[in-house]
Amino acid sequence: MSDKDSFFVGYLPAPKALRGLLLAVCVLFVSGLAGFGLALGVAQDDPGEGAFRFDYGRQTVTGVVELTPYPLLRVTEGNERIPAGHTLMLAGGGKTNVEDRAIPLEGQLAQASGVMLERGTLDMLQLRGGRNGLQAVEGAVPEMGTVPLGRWKLAGEICDGKCLAGAMRPGRGLAHKACANLCLLGKVPPVFVSSQPVDGSEFLLITGPNGEHLPEKAYHYVAQFISLEGEVERRGDLLVLRLDPDTLEVLR
Amino acid sequence: MTQAEAILMGLRIWGSIGAVVAAIFLTIGMDRIDEDAREAYIFRPLLIPGVLVIWPLVLWRWYLFESGRERWPGRYDPPRRAHFVVGWLLPIGICAIIVIGLSQRQTWPTDIAPLQLSGQVEAAQ
Repeated sequence: MSDKDSFFVGYLPAPKALRGLLLAVCVLFVSGLAGFGLALGVAQDDPGEGAFRFDYGRQTVTGVVELTPYPLLRVTEGNERIPAGHTLMLAGGGKTNVEDRAIPLEGQLAQASGVMLERGTLDMLQLRGGRNGLQAVEGAVPEMGTVPLGRWKLAGEICDGKCLAGAMRPGRGLAHKACANLCLLGKVPPVFVSSQPVDGSEFLLITGPNGEHLPEKAYHYVAQFISLEGEVERRGDLLVLRLDPDTLEVLR
Repeated sequence: MTQAEAILMGLRIWGSIGAVVAAIFLTIGMDRIDEDAREAYIFRPLLIPGVLVIWPLVLWRWYLFESGRERWPGRYDPPRRAHFVVGWLLPIGICAIIVIGLSQRQTWPTDIAPLQLSGQVEAAQ
């Protein structure tokens, strides 16, 4: 057989005439795939530092339950991780809410217990099941103020607060849109991430215009970079944005 | 109707037609075109998911067998003819999807600052 007729067989030594080509193809193939993988990885957004904080252990705090209609706990008696004065968003396990437990306790003092999710200044408490997660406690209910901050035009992204805070990585962006909408359908508290801080915070709990759940129209804008207008109010250290759905616009 | 609802409705229509095709083909058609399948029934439910998806191909192949136009080597002609083109289209398509996806994606609006449209006092009134 002449060199011209060289034929590669995997389990036989490579023919001399093909060795150079084989080596070149191997090098190009491996380095090309490695480079391609690196380029794709570098092009991805940073998923952030959010995570379930099981390392903190179970967190138990006391506070006043508020409905926005998403349940909040205005902490009055905290611990070393969750100080008094902090406002906690509350969620159930998976893609569920805790409204059936929070609604009967609205305006009352309650003890909440669960595991924290934390991403920078954003956090959320995933409650334990049943009364172990949220139960009424005796005591005087302190006055909890709400400070209206006026109407704002903001740019950013609507996310589900739980995944964003660390339940998923990435917990935002188009790749996460379907998951986010399923969480929002489960009435997990939605969060608007602002392009720049609003009154010191880049994370705002977002609701419907009249304090109802996020309107259906907003679901089509979840995970995209958008602009919107709405009324902002401060509840403790948490900002609440009442979205005006007619002002939703996708940014180009 | 939203895009998601339109896609879902399309899938439902496709699947419904596929279910009808599966019901007729697996009870009547299969016995007519494949003598090896006659009096063999246990495996047929396993084919239902596949028929739901590719029911037009099932109908076409059924027609070929019924009409006597089936020429068994012929079934390999289309993929053989398409090898060269598909071999180039696949990598080019994958690269195009990645490049278009990366070039079309939005950039985070860092430069857009929050704008207060009405003040605290006005909102409180």
